[in-house]
Amino acid sequence: MNDVAVLGVGMHPFGMWAERSNADMGLAAGLAALDDAGLSFRDVQAAYVGHIFAQVMSGVRVMKEFGLTGLPIQRIENASATGSAVFREACLAVASGRHDVVLALGFDKMSAMIQQSGATTDPAFLEDAILPAGFFAMWATRRMHERGTQASHLAAIAAKNWNNGAKNPMSQRQPDAPVTVEKVLASRMVAWPLTAMMSCPIGDGAAAAIVGRPEIVRKLRPGRPIVRVVASALQSERYDRGHLFVGPVVGPARMTVDTAREVYEEAGLGPKDLHLVQVHDAFAIEELEYYELLGLCGKGEAEAAIERGDFAPGGRIPVSTDGGLIARGHPGGPTGLAQIWETTLQLRGEAGPRQVDGARVGLCHMMGGGSVCVIHILQRD
Amino acid sequence: MTAQRKVRVPVKAGYFTVPDDSTQPPRLLGTRCEDCGEHFFPRRAVCARCLSRRTVDVELGPQGQLYSYTFVHFPLFGSMRVEHVGYGVGQVDLPEGPRVQLPLAGKQEDYRIGMTLEAELEPIREEGDKEVVIIRFRPVERAA
Repeated sequence: MNDVAVLGVGMHPFGMWAERSNADMGLAAGLAALDDAGLSFRDVQAAYVGHIFAQVMSGVRVMKEFGLTGLPIQRIENASATGSAVFREACLAVASGRHDVVLALGFDKMSAMIQQSGATTDPAFLEDAILPAGFFAMWATRRMHERGTQASHLAAIAAKNWNNGAKNPMSQRQPDAPVTVEKVLASRMVAWPLTAMMSCPIGDGAAAAIVGRPEIVRKLRPGRPIVRVVASALQSERYDRGHLFVGPVVGPARMTVDTAREVYEEAGLGPKDLHLVQVHDAFAIEELEYYELLGLCGKGEAEAAIERGDFAPGGRIPVSTDGGLIARGHPGGPTGLAQIWETTLQLRGEAGPRQVDGARVGLCHMMGGGSVCVIHILQRD
Repeated sequence: MTAQRKVRVPVKAGYFTVPDDSTQPPRLLGTRCEDCGEHFFPRRAVCARCLSRRTVDVELGPQGQLYSYTFVHFPLFGSMRVEHVGYGVGQVDLPEGPRVQLPLAGKQEDYRIGMTLEAELEPIREEGDKEVVIIRFRPVERAA
């Protein structure tokens, strides 16, 4: 990625916000990002906006809250990876030389979507009978068969993420007491072996990032570490025998392997160079698989690495430091941008109680149903 | 003579057969590539492997091997039947190559990875003189 930096980040906390509109939350996140960068909306040359559930035109309409400056606005949608895809397009717009300052904004009210769906959706059966939890539960059953994984390994990942969320003011889930493996295991069974506390919540929220030329950081925020976007990749599915065409939430495991290889090559870095990682942990089994698929540990080593606390705060490579999808939440459109918010703060050394000591390189991974895999690597100068 | 059965109709057309003889298992409606021989479910116009457009309709199954499974603790989508408040789901490898993901008959303890299953039709609700059916798999051997 040619000379692209994160100039500013902002969020509206994720949660159940019945009284707040997408415009309210999107404006709050976008203004926070502008203030963080030290920029006016008049400086923004283009905007990419992401939402999954809001109606047609919502992206352009919400942008009017910032002022009417005539800038190009484009809506991007890629299911759960929408925010990541929005961020990627904003980076590409800067890398291409077309623009110097670009806003990436994501928002959604998944709570409203869930309320509507029961009355309007025709039961298509083949696509709808298998809930996301059921699909990922089958990853877990297969993993248990092949590697002897225990439900307690999945619960350990979930407990870690809940407890990380408790340290993040933007997190939807804010446990008032430390969450234990036993508590996660005792929560309601959703799709065996996945329990409710191993699954991400439904929620609302917004997140924004402003990307642009690195010299803008030097000028507007002298002394602040420059956080560069050193690699970006988006891949869709490749065919192998046994490919599932109907009902899967995401494609085969190799999507993450292939996309990671592309970003590692582009950045000239490998998994051993990473100081923190955010993944698409909609369900705890996903995070376990992504440890291996991203190369954070060897094949078949995830369970031992979990037992050692390799991916916990203070561990070898902390993962889902902001609580992940499981705790911080997953409204849809803004989720990938929440990962950029967390990674940018961490690389600047501004993550407060969540700070990973000496963090200089962070990776953000999202899966989007359909499906796509999107990965970015951010590096502090 | 037993009472006349309601006419069975698929919940969604184009995915599986509904045999006139209710003792016969349904088949999945798929595609074979005439150039590379790969099989697919569901039907498709272009081969996903070699991109050939020379594809033909075929019927797949009705038996396969269980690759993975779960038991979902929610009502089956679109079903009006109380026994569907929780249901099994499996990924099944068909002998022709495709892997399919469908509901399973039975309970969690009935399933074992690698076991043989067979497709069957299951009514989920009635609409006038019609019985709406889905396709699912049922274990044909006991879990060890």
